[in-house]
Amino acid sequence: MFSFTYMAKELRRRLGRTILTALGLAAGVGLVIGIIGVSEGLDEAQAQVLAPLGSVGTDILVTRVAGSTTAPTATPTPTPAADQPQQSFGPGGGGFFAGPPGAGRANAANQADTTALLNENNNVVTDLSKLGKPGAKFTHDFFLSATLLSFPQEAVDQIADIPGVTKVTGGLTQLAQHQTGTVPQIVAEITTGGKTVTQTVRPDPMTAEERAAFAACAQKSGGTTQTEPAPSPGAEPRRGGTFFFGPGAAEKCLPKRFQEFRASFITPMETIRQVVNPPSTDITNKSYTAAGIDPASPTVGLVTQTQLTSGHWLRSTNPNEVLANVAYANKNSLKVGSTVAINGTTYTVAGLVNPTLTGNTADLYFPLTSLQKLAGKTGRVTQVLVKAKDSASVDAVAKEIKKLLPGAEVVTTKSLADQVTGSLADAKKVASRLGGALGVIVLIAAFAIAMLLTLSSVAKRVREIGTLRAIGWSKGRVVKQILTETIGIGLLGGAAGIVLGLAAAFAVGAFSPSLSASSNGVPGFASSTLSGLFGQTQAAAHTSTIALKAPVHMTTLAIGVAFAVVGGLLAGTVGGWRAARLSPAEALRNLG
Amino acid sequence: MTTLTNEEIPPMENPSIQKLYELQDVTRVFRTGGGEVRAISDVNLEIYPGELISIEGPSGSGKTTLLQVLGALDKATSGTVRFGETELTEIDDKELTELRARDLGFVFQSFNLIPTLTAAENVEAALVTVAHSKKERRARVDELLEVVGLSERRDHLPTRLSGGEQQRVAIARALANGPRVILADEPTGNLDSETAREVVSVLRKLSTERGVTVIIVTHAEEVARMTERRIRMLDGRMLNGNGDPTWNQ
Ligand SMILES: Nc1ncnc2c1ncn2[C@@H]1O[C@H](COP(=O)(O)OP(=O)(O)OP(=O)(O)O)[C@@H](O)[C@H]1O
Ligand SMILES: [Mg+2]
Repeated sequence: MFSFTYMAKELRRRLGRTILTALGLAAGVGLVIGIIGVSEGLDEAQAQVLAPLGSVGTDILVTRVAGSTTAPTATPTPTPAADQPQQSFGPGGGGFFAGPPGAGRANAANQADTTALLNENNNVVTDLSKLGKPGAKFTHDFFLSATLLSFPQEAVDQIADIPGVTKVTGGLTQLAQHQTGTVPQIVAEITTGGKTVTQTVRPDPMTAEERAAFAACAQKSGGTTQTEPAPSPGAEPRRGGTFFFGPGAAEKCLPKRFQEFRASFITPMETIRQVVNPPSTDITNKSYTAAGIDPASPTVGLVTQTQLTSGHWLRSTNPNEVLANVAYANKNSLKVGSTVAINGTTYTVAGLVNPTLTGNTADLYFPLTSLQKLAGKTGRVTQVLVKAKDSASVDAVAKEIKKLLPGAEVVTTKSLADQVTGSLADAKKVASRLGGALGVIVLIAAFAIAMLLTLSSVAKRVREIGTLRAIGWSKGRVVKQILTETIGIGLLGGAAGIVLGLAAAFAVGAFSPSLSASSNGVPGFASSTLSGLFGQTQAAAHTSTIALKAPVHMTTLAIGVAFAVVGGLLAGTVGGWRAARLSPAEALRNLG
Repeated sequence: MTTLTNEEIPPMENPSIQKLYELQDVTRVFRTGGGEVRAISDVNLEIYPGELISIEGPSGSGKTTLLQVLGALDKATSGTVRFGETELTEIDDKELTELRARDLGFVFQSFNLIPTLTAAENVEAALVTVAHSKKERRARVDELLEVVGLSERRDHLPTRLSGGEQQRVAIARALANGPRVILADEPTGNLDSETAREVVSVLRKLSTERGVTVIIVTHAEEVARMTERRIRMLDGRMLNGNGDPTWNQ
């Protein structure tokens, strides 16, 4: 192409101008790449902080935190909250599921939920006596819910029906205690209730014939010594009396009418077993976190398929597959294909995942139904992860969920982001304001320089342009030639800018300033992260420290080059406009 | 001193010969801050194909202005400029540009070669205005450089060529698309007389051998004398127009 030859030679001849223009654009582009990199780094850092939601394709997280559940109305007892120590019932009196409409289904669910919640902590009892005879070796995994309470899986389906929800999936997070040792001799267990109480109802007295028949019968069976009850002296004669007879006699000899009034009642079993410290034998305890995910939901969930680093995703067809956290796998020398034996079932590690979450990572991810079975929580989940149609509908969906599930903690990415403070938030503000402004200023300056230099170049080339016009070049062809040149400069500037930007990003990465982020008192978030649950920071400020990186993506580079090309285009347009306005006669006359 | 003879001038009244240019009462007025400047006024001129013409006159007499009007680079303020079948005062910039590309060739005092391009590329720059394949362009460039005797220097940059060589490249460029007219504004102004003669003989050969009309603006008597018809200008007026008996004084 002639115009490219011409362009290349032109750029080479006016090397100073070419370099100056390109460097101006490069500075702008480099800065833009750097700023985008830092801002994406901050975004990633924030995503890391908001990991439970952001990095798992989720907009809304629904949990149920201890102390926040409300009373089930379905419970017929009028007993106040104090009588049920397992949970405090809120004043609203609504179940976990809202009442009408659809009250039937909700009430049934609430009733089941109540029972399940009552047993929630009972499940965690380490009743070692069940593992074998004292002295026997055992290995067992116990699953605890702790304060992250479970709720019926029906909630998932109900949330799915809310308009604006595109994806929803349930998750079950459990703290597992892997214990090995010898079954101890002493196991404490306190059981109340369960006693059989026999209530005797007094029927109408026996008639004379009945009495005679009874006496005869009793006598025949040989156990009876007293046939006539002695009425209490001075008292109103009581109807009926007490019969003393040997076992079996009553059944045989009492008239049928009397037999029907004998009834047995069993008081409700209330096994108030306490979490006791395992007796100090040789038992060793290793804890890990287990999460149940729906294999059919690879994009939304406690872990997502994008976080898979090796192996394959869970298959719905195989309930005995697990995904292992890379960190956990490394510590325990697990590889894809390794097996883990848990309570008699062998699970194969299907893949390794690298969830970037800070507070809510699990070590092993099970198919939801498998973990539900392992943990004795069939049909129950501890989290519901919801993906909304778009960011605009998140708030409305969250509100609907709150209405639908009065006992739930509903947290959105935004509500978390709003409450994240600390240097990360500050840096983000600075990056978005100052960085953006700086980028705009430098770009404008670079564009202005490019335009001015192009204008001056056009002014210097008036005679050349006049000559081209004289030999038959149209205005359009002249403009195109100038554009070719300035876009060429733009590309050079873009290339140089990429180098500058990468250098800047590399510098940020090498320097790696660390940022802190606190999500102060985010309801249900800080306390729902397992690190917060089982140890250190209980529901208080949840602070994470993240090293800032400035990742440079292909799209960032493309944006940078695009800016440089836009700069070239602008300069070329201005220069071309100037050139097109030149009258060839004047252009040639000026310099003879 | 050779004096060209009258016989070479085509008879004015002969209708069988197609006029190339016909100018009637052409005036070009420049409006400046200080008032109006009549660069040329009431010029009447007819030019025939193949003529070799020189335009002489003192500085500021309107020679360049007239040449630019003839070369479709500038438009007359009033009067008519007929080129072949086309009335130049009535067509737009696009058509004027096409006309320049196809039918007109320019040669300038300071050569005006594109400094970054080689001799061959400078010639090619004129060829790109008319659709040609790369191969056709190459062949044509070679042919044109051959005509001006510069085949050996095709890949040299203008800075490595002498003034005369540069002007010959410029002539090759002017010839690129087979023009009917070559307009040269003081083509020998920057050349010594020896080189000037060479350049003018090239132009003259184009006129005589190829039938290209050549119009040369010049201050040099020596150059003007090599032409067949000498037009003199003074204060924007043509001293010897069509049939003016003083034209050859
Ligand atoms: N664009 C313009 N604006 C104003 N005046 C102009 C313009 N172009 C030419 N003139 C004036 O028109 C007159 C004729 O100029 P022109 O260049 O045609 O003269 P010339 O004979 O070519 O002179 P020279 O021998 O010096 O080249 C001059 O007075 C000049 O100043
Ligand atoms: Mg002049």
